[in-house]
Amino acid sequence: MNAWLLAAALLATGGVGPCLLLGLRGSPQQRLAGLNLAATTTSVVLLLLAQGFSRTSYTDLALDLAVLAPAGTLVFTRFLAGRQR
Amino acid sequence: MTPRHTLALVLLVAGTTALLLAALALAVLPGPYLRLHALSPAATLGAPLVALALAVDTGPGRAAVKLLVIGLLLAVGGTVTTMAVARATVRGQRETAQREAQR
Repeated sequence: MNAWLLAAALLATGGVGPCLLLGLRGSPQQRLAGLNLAATTTSVVLLLLAQGFSRTSYTDLALDLAVLAPAGTLVFTRFLAGRQR
Repeated sequence: MTPRHTLALVLLVAGTTALLLAALALAVLPGPYLRLHALSPAATLGAPLVALALAVDTGPGRAAVKLLVIGLLLAVGGTVTTMAVARATVRGQRETAQREAQR
């Protein structure tokens, strides 16, 4: 196991875990905060896994998530704002 | 171990620590507004530092530029979504306060 895979394992458990925990309880806005941080951390985990396994083409997954996750979060905030009007 | 690899490891440790602290803060800090403070350091500090570490380890070239672009996208996207989530939180809190005042 190299440093990249170790960091990916640490982030997948200690980084994504609390975000998922927060995403399961609380108000919709608080769940959205958990989802937001989970998306960032997961992108980083995918980047680290690609480097750890020496498959640089896998970084496309992280690139896709980095583009699509903010768009998804913005759609969710739009839905929440629409419900409250 | 080359100096470049050492620098990459230092950046990796810094970025991973920032991300882990942000996750811990999100779980520990009370209230929706304080929790928002955990979002921006992860996006603007943690993720770009890890992307920079990967780019330094990869060396100059197209792959490094791609990694830096991903880091930049994460920073910009994270900042924008943090502001959107903050706005949604403020609206949600205002709505709840109005509902309780009407009772």
